[in-house]
Amino acid sequence: MSTYSFLIRRVLQALAVVLLVTVVVFCLLHALPGGPARGILGPQATASQITAFNHEQGLDRPLPVQYVYYLNQLIHGDLGMSYTLNEPVSQLITERLPKTLLLTVLSAVVGLLVAVPLGVWQAVRRNKPVDYVITTLSFIAYSTPVYFLGLILVLVFSQVLPWFPAQAPQGNSVWAVLSQPQGLVLPVVAGAATMVAVFSRYMRSATLENLTEDYVRTARAGGSRPRAILTRHVFRNSLTPVVAMLGYYVPVLFGGALVVEQLFNYPGMGLLFWTAAQSSDYPVLLGCVLVISIATVTGTLLADVLQRVIDPRVKAGRS
Amino acid sequence: MSAVRRPAADARGGHILDLDDLGVVFTTETGPVQAVRGVSLHVAPGETLALVGESGSGKSTVALAAMGLLAGNARATGRAVVDGTDIVGADEERLSGLRGSTVSMVFQEPATALDPLTRVGKQIAEVIRNHRRVSAADAAARAVELLRRVGIPEPEQRARAYPFQLSGGQRQRVVIAMAIANEPALLIADEPTTALDVTVQAEILDLLRRLAAETGTGVLLVTHNMGVVADFADRVAVMYQGAIVETGPVEDVLLRPSHDYTKRLLSAVPRLSVAEAGESGGAAQGDDRGTDAPAGEPAVELTDVSVVFGRGKQAVHALKGVSFAVRPGETLGLVGESGSGKSTASRVALGLIAPTSGSVTLFGADLARTRARARRALRAGIGVVLQDPVASLDARMTVGECVAEPLRIHRRGLSGREREALVAAVLDRVRLPREVARRTPRELSGGQRQRVSLARALVLEPRLLVADEPTSALDVSVQEAVLEVIGELQEELGFACLFVSHDLAVVQQFARRVVVMRAGRAEEQGLTSATLLHPETDYTRRLLAAVPVPDPVVQRGRRAERLATLAAGRTEEQG
Repeated sequence: MSTYSFLIRRVLQALAVVLLVTVVVFCLLHALPGGPARGILGPQATASQITAFNHEQGLDRPLPVQYVYYLNQLIHGDLGMSYTLNEPVSQLITERLPKTLLLTVLSAVVGLLVAVPLGVWQAVRRNKPVDYVITTLSFIAYSTPVYFLGLILVLVFSQVLPWFPAQAPQGNSVWAVLSQPQGLVLPVVAGAATMVAVFSRYMRSATLENLTEDYVRTARAGGSRPRAILTRHVFRNSLTPVVAMLGYYVPVLFGGALVVEQLFNYPGMGLLFWTAAQSSDYPVLLGCVLVISIATVTGTLLADVLQRVIDPRVKAGRS
Repeated sequence: MSAVRRPAADARGGHILDLDDLGVVFTTETGPVQAVRGVSLHVAPGETLALVGESGSGKSTVALAAMGLLAGNARATGRAVVDGTDIVGADEERLSGLRGSTVSMVFQEPATALDPLTRVGKQIAEVIRNHRRVSAADAAARAVELLRRVGIPEPEQRARAYPFQLSGGQRQRVVIAMAIANEPALLIADEPTTALDVTVQAEILDLLRRLAAETGTGVLLVTHNMGVVADFADRVAVMYQGAIVETGPVEDVLLRPSHDYTKRLLSAVPRLSVAEAGESGGAAQGDDRGTDAPAGEPAVELTDVSVVFGRGKQAVHALKGVSFAVRPGETLGLVGESGSGKSTASRVALGLIAPTSGSVTLFGADLARTRARARRALRAGIGVVLQDPVASLDARMTVGECVAEPLRIHRRGLSGREREALVAAVLDRVRLPREVARRTPRELSGGQRQRVSLARALVLEPRLLVADEPTSALDVSVQEAVLEVIGELQEELGFACLFVSHDLAVVQQFARRVVVMRAGRAEEQGLTSATLLHPETDYTRRLLAAVPVPDPVVQRGRRAERLATLAAGRTEEQG
């Protein structure tokens, strides 16, 4: 399959997935008891006020009709108005998405830059003290909830040792945020910690597995030094499964951002999602889910493309 | 570019490899295991020493010890001197300097021996640059030259290929190119042709022989295949349980073995019967066909079956108009090279692959016209034995559970006690003690496991047994026992047997009729005694000529004949 037809096929698949996600989320939200009218108009609202609100928002029409209406608007880039913030959802998202992307991408990059060499190091020093210590730390990092880890980070590196601010940069644009890099350190570390724990494990086991492969023996038999074998052959072969995992990790990263943004009061998508969920702000919730699902699908797509670049067998359709 | 031999080799009586009282101990969870003990042997430049023995005899361990490539839990004692350097106790830096330059190795499994993500030319160049200060461009050019030398067509393009883009034989040629890249004084080949088809095996052996003769390289050939030994070796060392029991010139060891173990080993080797030179086969063939026509309704019959995988340009025609039938009480051998479609044909017979066109009749019922439920009932009449007894038995079940599983599926009415009785009875039949029912497959030996597979296949008293390479993972002595059991049970139970194998000698002994497959077609079929003795097609003739027989004198003649035929074919093509 040529790369071109592969891309077209995968993008079409991705669109289908996103469409399916909107259906599921739409149905789920409308199946919830209470409805937005009660949430927005408050407990004192009369039945007629609620009926009027529902009529005004189109909420009294059959669900399929509402969905088609929603989809039509979506195609025109209109995600509707927020019930509570009185702003177009698209505007809310375009304001906040770049900041969340910045946080997640930074966390992912930092996480991988630490995890990959760590995993390789552990594999090389397997069952030595270093390996045991890192393994233990990994399990601790993996089993610590992000909000708890965040609190510890704030306590240690902001309160006890006044090295970094406890609050994330509050700027409105990405540039404003980037101009205060010291404020990003703790949120990024909190977001990257789980990733380091998970991916160093993947990298460790992938490297260990590859070190026992026949081709390593062949390279040794040809007189290649251990270090050369590791960097030239084992590293690349071990990276392929890790890259595949990366795609599936995108939603986890966004989930982590939800907590981290809340914790460090960072005005991104996570915080927006959080407030919308608490006030039954359907249009905002739907918009956020849509964006996150697009990001997830794009993430897996990127991982697939990256895999084709690393592993020629994937392109030939045999792996 | 001839390597300069260090004088050390001459000082040592001209030996390039000298093993002196070599021992290897593996530390395992259950304690130390002595895999090799007191092995002493030598290889002179230009000489080939074959190290033979069955699995577990320690022959591969000796080879790895000579390369300093033993696993981490192994400890070597004694001396293993390669060109003046004792490998035992040498540090990694010293070993890296020797490996790939003075001594190099060809491995058994070409499918996994190469880095899947690196182009083959680059992998060869890496070996060159490990030992010579040459530029990347020069190393790449030399890699292309090496690919040409090992007989890879269009070496410039092939150098840029990834291993998965090459065939098994080509991959093995690449591994050989890596091994000879720096003109080693000693080449260690560990089962270099075991994973390859016979015709490819013959080519690879020719190549190794030519390269060794050209450069005066000494070869240590590790193999279990006595035909390969007869074809290639000057001297033979026979290993048994970690020690060498017999050493001598190849003719002495193979034709006049002195040790009991060697005698037993050689008598278990299935021998390909070959037509005497000058004997005409035409008459005998006609007779056989006339008198011995198989009788009875076929257990399974394939009529003009074609199988196509995929669509359009990428479609693979796995089978093209194949017809054959297996009748009760008879064994039909299905032979051919890998990719010829023999396994696909056996799966069609099992009803696991639906034919794209043509029909399959199982016990008189057309499979395409039977409903799922009826098809399931028909399948209860088939037993299956596959190649790998380790992979085809569930490691988490006891042997008893494995064997009883078909009963649970097809005869649900049975009580636990009845099932146990049937399992015990079938274990008796395959000559396994009843106690093994409580053990797990991993506690058994390879031959025992394959008998468990056989017991599972026979527990429903099938009318058809499909055996796909049932003995190719086993040692010859074990193979003999397993084949004997299948043969006896067939006589007793009268099932039809479809026997898929790449080993022509085994098929010749075991099957009454044979189908020779080639590229999805049934190239030739008939009685084994006729088809494999006096083949009608060139393909079958080539296939038979490529099988090395374990008699060095006969094999020398066969090789000369085969090469002459090949050369004649080539001049004809050119002329």
